[in-house]
Amino acid sequence: MSNWERLVWNQRGVLLQGLAVTVEVCLIAFAVAIVGGLTLCLIRMHVRPLRPVAIVLIEFFRATPIFVQLMWVTYVWPELFGWPNSFFTAGWLALGLQSSGYLAETFRAGIEGIARGHREAGYALGMPPLLVFRRIVMPQTLLTVAPSIVNQFTVIVKSSTLISVITVQDLMFQAMKLVNVWYEPIEILTVTAALYILFVFLVSTAGKLLADRLRRRYGLAAA
Amino acid sequence: MDATPAIRVVDLRKSFGTLEVLKGVSFDVDRGSVVSMIGASGSGKSTLLRCINFLETPSGGEVYIDGEPMGFRTDATGQRRLQPLSEINRMRRDLGMVFQQFNLWPHMTVLGNVIEAPMRVRGMNRKRAAALGEECLARVHLSEKAREYPARLSGGQQQRVAIARALAMQPKAMLFDEPTSSLDPELTDEVLAVMRELAGDGTTMIVVTHEMGFARDASDRVLFLHNGLIEEEGPPEQVFGAPRSERCRQFLSKHLQ
Ligand SMILES: Nc1ncnc2c1ncn2[C@@H]1O[C@H](COP(=O)(O)OP(=O)(O)O)[C@@H](O)[C@H]1O
Ligand SMILES: [Mg+2]
Repeated sequence: MSNWERLVWNQRGVLLQGLAVTVEVCLIAFAVAIVGGLTLCLIRMHVRPLRPVAIVLIEFFRATPIFVQLMWVTYVWPELFGWPNSFFTAGWLALGLQSSGYLAETFRAGIEGIARGHREAGYALGMPPLLVFRRIVMPQTLLTVAPSIVNQFTVIVKSSTLISVITVQDLMFQAMKLVNVWYEPIEILTVTAALYILFVFLVSTAGKLLADRLRRRYGLAAA
Repeated sequence: MDATPAIRVVDLRKSFGTLEVLKGVSFDVDRGSVVSMIGASGSGKSTLLRCINFLETPSGGEVYIDGEPMGFRTDATGQRRLQPLSEINRMRRDLGMVFQQFNLWPHMTVLGNVIEAPMRVRGMNRKRAAALGEECLARVHLSEKAREYPARLSGGQQQRVAIARALAMQPKAMLFDEPTSSLDPELTDEVLAVMRELAGDGTTMIVVTHEMGFARDASDRVLFLHNGLIEEEGPPEQVFGAPRSERCRQFLSKHLQ
């Protein structure tokens, strides 16, 4: 019986279970990052009194090493806010917050890149600002920042391996558990790496295809 | 016939910081008439148009659309108060604006651009808005492009779509800010031709332009703006044939070949 069969194929249930946890954490973190990033960006751009708060948060999320942030959310937040109450929640929260800092800046650059005339054309027709934002600014912004958003998702996937440290049973956690049982790292870690690569590749390819398709449909040059 | 002008501008002033751009401009635009506005770059023509629909808030003076004051109300104590945005938006519907840079929304089809405001501002259902949109596109001779995206059109076609988009709100007047200035010379004619047709249909228009041919034979009145003031005003025969102002004469000699 080869090592591949013994260590990998026979353990596939465990590894896939880990992969499922990784996918779940990353998707939740991604949603948090997008909602959080957009919120921070809009507060920074349009809510004068809260602007400094948004800037401090954005810079804080961006400047803190992800590992420190993970520890901080896991061990400091429960003391300060009584939440999060599980390592799983702390995991996606820390990942999501860090990326929200980056996405806030991405969204801001995208929004500022929309020609003022596009908004004014809407105002001149009697469209209120929220409608202009929703129908004109946001769709164009999403189109231009799509590559950065996809890239941020891959950052989340890669950073997510750290949550195994706080015992969230993701792919990395399960892989290391197997390694520590069998003391045979080669096959297990190679397959683990391959699974991460596959995940990142699928996501970025899908994102790129979608963005390219929209651009082509609108007759816009590819980024 | 009701003689209320479609647009009345009274002593309009606008400053940006310490820069006084409009220094008290007054004029009327009668219903169904075309007013061309000419003047050197930086004389305040765009600012004037943008103050009329409150894309810029005037620093002083009044604008009336069909007799109704735009943007400001004077209360019982004589205080001038800026109206809420919702009121300004309601009146903006009555003023179609066409920009130098077209400003079509690239992620919507041509028809999508045209029916966006009728649907979401006027609350028309899609079917009625589409019928209206097709009608407006026919007026600018672009019915066959309804399903295209703007980036696939020539500049002249894009500007005609922008005109259709403004027409779709069925405005009381149209404001054109140098609609052909960013077009290649061979594309300006198709846009000017559409504008002449609109003028012929009795559309009330203010046209800021450097196209002296259009100003001369498509407009009822011509305004020459200089340093934030109307320096010369009159029917085109007079302004072009016998301008009283020396500056206007100089400007015309530079722009008429
Ligand atoms: N938003 C603004 N802020 C500051 N200055 C402005 C602004 N808009 C226009 N100006 C200034 O006002 C003057 C008139 O500009 P504009 O109305 O665009 O002239 P025109 O359209 O006749 O070329 C110019 O000196 C211009 O720099
Ligand atoms: Mg101008």
